Amino acid sequence: MENSSQESHLRSENSVTYESPYQLYAMALSSSSASRHQRIALGSFIEDFNNRVDIVSFDPETLSIKTHPSLSFDHPYPPTKLMFQPTSLRKSSDLLASSGDFLRLWEVRDSSVEPLTVLNNSKSSEFCAPLTSFDWNEIEPKRLGTSSIDTTCTIWDIERGVVETQLIAHDKEVYDICWGEARVFASVSADGSVRIFDLRDKEHSTIIYESPQPDTPLLRLAWNKQDLRYMATVLMDSNKVVILDIRSPTMPVAELERHKAGVNAIAWAPQSCRHICSVGDDTQALIWELPPVAGPNGIDPMSMYSAGSFESLRLDDCGIILFKIP
Amino acid sequence: MATTGIQNHERVPENLKKQLALAVRSIQWSYAIFWSISAGQSGVLEWGDGYYNGDIKTRKTIQAVELNSDQLGLQRSEQLRELYESLSAGESNPQASRRPSAALSPEDLTDTEWYYLVCMSFVFNIGEGLPGRALANDEPIWLCNAHFADSKVFSRSLLAKSATIQTVVCFPFLQGVVELGTTDLVLEDHSFIQQIKSSFLDFPYPIISKMSSSSAVNMRNDKDLARSALDPKILDTTMVPVIGCQVFEMASPNDSSNGIEPNQLAEDSFVVEGINGVASQVQSWQFLEDEFSNCIHHSMNSSDCISQTLVDPGKVVSASKDDIKAIEKCLQEVQECKDTKLTSLDLRGNDLHYQSVLSALLKTSHQLGPNFQNCNQESSFCSWKKGGLMMNCKIQRDGIAQKLLKKILFEVPRMNDDRLLETSEENCIKDDVYRPEADEIAANLHVLSERKRREKLNKRFITLKSLVPSISKFDKVSILDDTIIYLQDLERKVGELESRLELPELEGRTNRKQKDTVERTFDNYGNDKISNGKKALNKRKASNIDEMEPEIEYVVLKDGSIDNLTVSINDKNVLIDIKCTWREGILIEIMDAISNLHLDSHSVQSSTAEGVLCVTIKSKYKGMNVASAGMIRQSLQRVVWKC
Repeated sequence: MENSSQESHLRSENSVTYESPYQLYAMALSSSSASRHQRIALGSFIEDFNNRVDIVSFDPETLSIKTHPSLSFDHPYPPTKLMFQPTSLRKSSDLLASSGDFLRLWEVRDSSVEPLTVLNNSKSSEFCAPLTSFDWNEIEPKRLGTSSIDTTCTIWDIERGVVETQLIAHDKEVYDICWGEARVFASVSADGSVRIFDLRDKEHSTIIYESPQPDTPLLRLAWNKQDLRYMATVLMDSNKVVILDIRSPTMPVAELERHKAGVNAIAWAPQSCRHICSVGDDTQALIWELPPVAGPNGIDPMSMYSAGSFESLRLDDCGIILFKIP
Repeated sequence: MATTGIQNHERVPENLKKQLALAVRSIQWSYAIFWSISAGQSGVLEWGDGYYNGDIKTRKTIQAVELNSDQLGLQRSEQLRELYESLSAGESNPQASRRPSAALSPEDLTDTEWYYLVCMSFVFNIGEGLPGRALANDEPIWLCNAHFADSKVFSRSLLAKSATIQTVVCFPFLQGVVELGTTDLVLEDHSFIQQIKSSFLDFPYPIISKMSSSSAVNMRNDKDLARSALDPKILDTTMVPVIGCQVFEMASPNDSSNGIEPNQLAEDSFVVEGINGVASQVQSWQFLEDEFSNCIHHSMNSSDCISQTLVDPGKVVSASKDDIKAIEKCLQEVQECKDTKLTSLDLRGNDLHYQSVLSALLKTSHQLGPNFQNCNQESSFCSWKKGGLMMNCKIQRDGIAQKLLKKILFEVPRMNDDRLLETSEENCIKDDVYRPEADEIAANLHVLSERKRREKLNKRFITLKSLVPSISKFDKVSILDDTIIYLQDLERKVGELESRLELPELEGRTNRKQKDTVERTFDNYGNDKISNGKKALNKRKASNIDEMEPEIEYVVLKDGSIDNLTVSINDKNVLIDIKCTWREGILIEIMDAISNLHLDSHSVQSSTAEGVLCVTIKSKYKGMNVASAGMIRQSLQRVVWKC
């Protein structure tokens, strides 16, 4: 439930603990400007309608987390993902998006959070198919892509609040989506494939990986923003992080298999093209440095952190945020 | 670190960069660095100035003015310096935005540029390292295969390896060391060094009349842009004659627009300097050489006035190797004012130094873990051990792997979906949704068979669509829907027909039967004639409609009506058979309707008996607008059954 460990020797200068009153899943870091403290949005995981999103702020100088009760708001069902707009165009506020029953946009001001829009991609119904994840385009911050269990991905123009495109991306539920370039995104699905889509050619997609056992769902996807040739994905019930090179489809360039149990989340380092962090059911967070050529015995992680069990993580300039569940 | 860098910049004469540039460009090497004796630490060589002449990955075109390659090189070197300063400034002040002004970012750099950039962070004790030894022994050092050199000999060998720097040459020059490097292997050649030294670097410096300090400050403020705007022509013309020549005595009265007093300039490259208002640099250059009294320099840096005054005597004294002890105190004071980071960095091994600089530059010190333990703060991460911390691992809580992740992906959507029970599934996907065809790059059997299966499926759907007459939309769901309705309809009709068999034969039924046979023959004829598959399909469709028509008629007849309407299409020929209740003007209306459908009637037969009109019309399509049999029937029905 808290994002650090109870063991005292791990309470080093660089680890900060925030204890949330409820179990957490979704989490987002704001792309903070220098003047403001970095904000962290935390989404509760309560298996019920009533859920909460809390905004806390992190001060890297004093290494402390400050709560803002006025910035807490209700969310219907647990948000499946939270994300701040990557490059904030607004001076006084942050834009936060959440996915779940709909894609929702929130304006986080200094002392309040205002719901901006509820985006529904279905014209014929007042409901849209539940969303599993989304990703905000860093290059084109008005563009946002959602993935849904109805096998589609929807590309939104959030400035105008309209659907730019909807694609039937997979044969089964789409579990994660990730932008590479302004018009290129990739997604993973229960059909076990990683596919790349280019908005300029909507008639085709490219399958760059399929899980070795047919129909083993792929749950998570992370595209290396520093080196777009590489992406990483996580299979269901697998302790592997599969590293893909889009130039050699179907054959992973590396499989990182030092976790002793299932992998929950992956994230590439924001500033380095060769480092990736993964967290797993084995209560470890591992940092891997990808060698130019993988050796015969596989790749060992360069460092590890062990405490609790992690379900979500974000890498950012200020460090790594991990969640532990009780 | 940053402040040191800036001071270096002030301290090292501006025209040195140009000289380095000329030297390195003439021999086509990758870079030239001038290591100067540090003002902050005695007995230490640090970055003085440099010129980068190697490979460039990207060049951001920010400059408004068109620059020649020489200026581009100078500008690149400046930008690299700027980048280094902004990166190291970011390190000491993490709150500040990381790269405030640098025109370049680390991603834009080639390996060689990285090498050059990281060199900026190095300092050498005199007598240590390549530059240090060159200065201590007062002789040049020529290092081939630098990238394989022992790190004790050449501390940057690892770095050089990544940049494929193969040859490095250091020679003492003035009060520092000039280092030249190239990615090629060049064998030792002392005359080569001599040549560089004499032809480019050993300029005799003319005596320049003193200037007021205020003008010096003004001139100093003239930044590169102003300079680059002014000097292309001059630089171009001076480049050629300088090579190989010793000295041009060229006294030119300098009427500079910057309001500098006319200076007596002798050497041609100084013409450039003079015009550009950097004459003060010449002066400071010169004061290193001989004079001690020159203090104009100090006023240049108003913010750092005190430390500057301390620096300059120190430097000059050490330069002339005079009375060092007397100055040592001052130096120590200066040193205390300095950023201690540089000193501490220097104390560590060179490998650690490199790592810490890199991690600082890359801002990944937290994430890079154990290899970078020399960061100021300790990381929460520890280095990974095989099977380490096994006792801490509670593998698979509750026996479910990836429990929360699965809940989020599998169960939360279901929670949301509970509301959707009343809304049907297909509502969620719109008709205009793109369905990209997945292109597989590799020949994957599973994928291939899947694709084949889908192709087959699509083909069957098209066939089904051609079989069912009233299909409006071309998506799979509506094809199936229409087929279901059609089949139900057919079943109902079959039932009716079977029940009719028991009824006494109706008049006209035999007629119809005959007609059916006629039409079939006609169709077969068409089939023989038309080999094109697509058209055959069309025709089959038409004949299907035909087959259905009589059945409709029977229904109608059963209801007591006598109306009947058949349309059959064969290629461009349309045969229309109408039997209906006669009323006034009905024939004209029928003909109007037919011509509205772009049909050209060439034969009309009509007869009226007992108030029943029988019309047989043979027509052809005219033009490209082809109406389907269904459309023709519909519009005729509208006319026929109007009353």
